[in-house]
Amino acid sequence: MSRSAWFAVAVWAAAAGIYIVTHRVDTQFAMYWVFGLAFGFVLQRGRFCFASAFRDLFLLGWGRNMKGVLVGLAVGSVGFGLVMSRQVPMAFLDILPPSANVLPLGIHTALGGLLFGVGMVVAGGCVSGSLYRMGEGYVASWVAFAGVMGGLLASAHTWNWWWDTVIASSPRWWLPNWIGHPGALAVTLGALAAAYVAVIWMEQRGGMVVPSAPRSQEPTTGVASELRRVARGVFVEGWGIIPAGAVLGGLNVLLFTAQEPWGFTGEVSRWSIGVASLVSLEPPTLAGVADLPGCVFVPADGSFFNHMLFLVTGMWLASFAGALGAGEFKIRIPKRRARYAQSLGGGVFMGYGSGLAMGCTIGAFFSGIPSLAVNGWVFAVFLGIGAWIGTHAIRRIQ
Amino acid sequence: MADTLDVRGEICPYPMMRTVSALKQLAGDATVLEVVTDHAPALETIPTQAARLGFDTRIEETGGSEWTLVLTRKDEEAS
Repeated sequence: MSRSAWFAVAVWAAAAGIYIVTHRVDTQFAMYWVFGLAFGFVLQRGRFCFASAFRDLFLLGWGRNMKGVLVGLAVGSVGFGLVMSRQVPMAFLDILPPSANVLPLGIHTALGGLLFGVGMVVAGGCVSGSLYRMGEGYVASWVAFAGVMGGLLASAHTWNWWWDTVIASSPRWWLPNWIGHPGALAVTLGALAAAYVAVIWMEQRGGMVVPSAPRSQEPTTGVASELRRVARGVFVEGWGIIPAGAVLGGLNVLLFTAQEPWGFTGEVSRWSIGVASLVSLEPPTLAGVADLPGCVFVPADGSFFNHMLFLVTGMWLASFAGALGAGEFKIRIPKRRARYAQSLGGGVFMGYGSGLAMGCTIGAFFSGIPSLAVNGWVFAVFLGIGAWIGTHAIRRIQ
Repeated sequence: MADTLDVRGEICPYPMMRTVSALKQLAGDATVLEVVTDHAPALETIPTQAARLGFDTRIEETGGSEWTLVLTRKDEEAS
């Protein structure tokens, strides 16, 4: 094994140690820590990137990442649909599921998606993408994350205006209320399948597609050599996008079953508001946030630890360990100064947008559509339009 | 001696975009472009874009999270 692989083993051992300690303090911390590790590892191994999913359709006519996203959404929709049908058996009564991301739908959803779409393309990664690239050693992604924190703070300062003007009176549309659980799931899966066909069409319009380099095809002899091949497939060679998407969708279902959908910009807003309060720049009391699901703002409560802290830091640590194990960790410093401005500016756009939309590509989209909520689709459409605008912008920045 | 393009340190999607513009500007008699990158996703995006411009890709792992992609113009007679 290489030196960086041994280093990866040490990081995994440290992660296990943190699990043991947190399990004694609070089992919820421990559970979120494990989920964070799993999400971060799969994101890194699959090179799962929401920014690329949208951008590369327009820029390259290349659909690898979008196919993975669609598969993850399909798996998530089936699982969420099943759980929600148990939570709210009589959907026609206009009751909403308690923790799914059925969010107020209005102009803020569209604007949030638009800003987020532009920002993720200009910054070269969305919030989750920046988080796992931070673990891989991309300095620009640290800058983007700082931008996200700034954008979330700006968004929090304007939240009460948005709440009074738009959000408080916005409806929360949940498909099962109208067409029942089976109907809502069928419509969602049908739309995802149609999107998959559209991705293939865009790909073929762009020209030929060269499949990823095949993995080692050497025959194995004996259990040890087969185990080695399997371990290489998991820890060293990049994962296929379809298994990565399916596993992320499955993990999201597990987390939803245990507690709530995957999402984390609410936690990042807590850090942002916490830092701001040190210099008396904290936003005023935020109206309505206590009664909403999704990644709404979490006001700083004076405590350092909470369960979501373990989810976010777990994602980061596992991507670091995953990159080390694969020999892909490296401190990467952009040579062009414009990249720092892009990362920071794109981050601010993403932060402001995710504040308005009450989630990022994870909370408002990857968990929004499986919640069988209309807001997930509206966010996705405007995410696409924003990414299209962003693609035009980066063509002009060399 | 092949032309070399160094895109180390670049963020998505610039390694691929700069490779494509370098391939388009490659002088008529030049047949090989070597791209040095430390961005793993580029190993999947560049081969397809190169193929669409008529180039084959060979990936060499040079260690330390860096790769060299050797892009060779396909023989037009053969294709």
